Amino acid sequence: MTNAQGAATPIDEPLLLVHAYLDGELDPANSLAIAQQIAADPALGAEVEHIQALRHAVRERLPREPLPPRLRARIETVIGRRGPQVHPSWRALAASVVFAMALASGSTWVALRPVSGDRIAEAVVDSHVRALMAPQPTDVTSSERHTVKPWFNGRLPQSPQVVDLTKEGFPLVGGRVDVIETSPVATLVYGRRLHLISLSAMPSARRPQGLSVRRSIRGYNLVNWSEDGVDYWAASDLSAGELETFARLFRSALSGR
Amino acid sequence: MSGEDDRARFDRVVSSHLEDAFAFARWLAGNRTDAEDIFQEACLRAFRGIGSFSGGSARAWLLTIVRRSAYSWFEKNRLRAQVAIDDLSLGERALVEGGGDRDALKRATPETELIAKADAARLEAAIAALPLEFRETFVLRDIQGLEYREIAEVTAKPLGTVMSRLARARRRLIDTIGTEQR
Repeated sequence: MTNAQGAATPIDEPLLLVHAYLDGELDPANSLAIAQQIAADPALGAEVEHIQALRHAVRERLPREPLPPRLRARIETVIGRRGPQVHPSWRALAASVVFAMALASGSTWVALRPVSGDRIAEAVVDSHVRALMAPQPTDVTSSERHTVKPWFNGRLPQSPQVVDLTKEGFPLVGGRVDVIETSPVATLVYGRRLHLISLSAMPSARRPQGLSVRRSIRGYNLVNWSEDGVDYWAASDLSAGELETFARLFRSALSGR
Repeated sequence: MSGEDDRARFDRVVSSHLEDAFAFARWLAGNRTDAEDIFQEACLRAFRGIGSFSGGSARAWLLTIVRRSAYSWFEKNRLRAQVAIDDLSLGERALVEGGGDRDALKRATPETELIAKADAARLEAAIAALPLEFRETFVLRDIQGLEYREIAEVTAKPLGTVMSRLARARRRLIDTIGTEQR
């Protein structure tokens, strides 16, 4: 590669080629020529050191940040449930934000609460929605279960079982503490493409119980089961089928340990 | 239904590059709030334009859209003066262009040490202070790891321009970070 195209100002070619050389962008002949120039010219040698130090510092100290799950949810809200013919708009987003905020605020929660509804199911959906609206849907954000599980120690009497379902397509996003029916509860957050799943684990005296699916509490699906003295609730806007798959995978990963 | 197809296509092509897209938006905007607006706009544009994606690097395609979204966002929301500047100092010109004063480069060791010691905040501040054209080129190469020709594609500039911008951006950063903090 040469500096062939006409930039407005003349550029010091050897110096440019040093950058290209360090970036692995030169063909073998030019690489060799530049390597020799660097060896012969202390000024170029010094610049090589500088560039390498800079690249190393950037690589080491500016690590890649995961996409904030809240943003994922926001994108999902905007494009998720609409075909391309109807252009999703800011107004639509604003409306959905207002709606979700209404859901999350206490007064409307009471108003919306169905008389005979399951209060825990409602509370789990509320926590999930509230988390989507918060700056972070998690208090601890990590895809590493050995980071997430210990985080709950000291915050809750019982820290939840955390399993790794990355290979199955449900990467761990993090965890948070929710308050369900006045009790603090451990909630794990898993991802699925652009969707999030909140999985709350509550100590319970219930007898073990298989999966039960509840469809569409305000647009969110729920899967509930009980085992080993823990009542599990998974909430997401994923389809009921996919959420059930997640629950099965979680259970079998737990029993397989 | 075509809506489903587009959605599936978006998931397949775009989903795995959303992190890069947001990171790029953040470096372009300089703050999270603006970056989120830009990122969202870019995702919308990518979704609507998913039919026009014709293979090649999906990441470069998405980053191109992020950059366009950022530029139109800047036009709407910021003073023009902040967008296009190429304000090399005289010292930099002498150094980078026309084979200037090479002696200035010779005091390698202290500069290199300072650069090696620079913490994240210092690095971020120095990168954020780069003029937009230099910043985008530097971020695409040294943070996102694009090849020169991909950067040329994303920024719609010839290779030579990419090379000179990258060299200048790095030179500026070395100057800033490689100098004792006052």
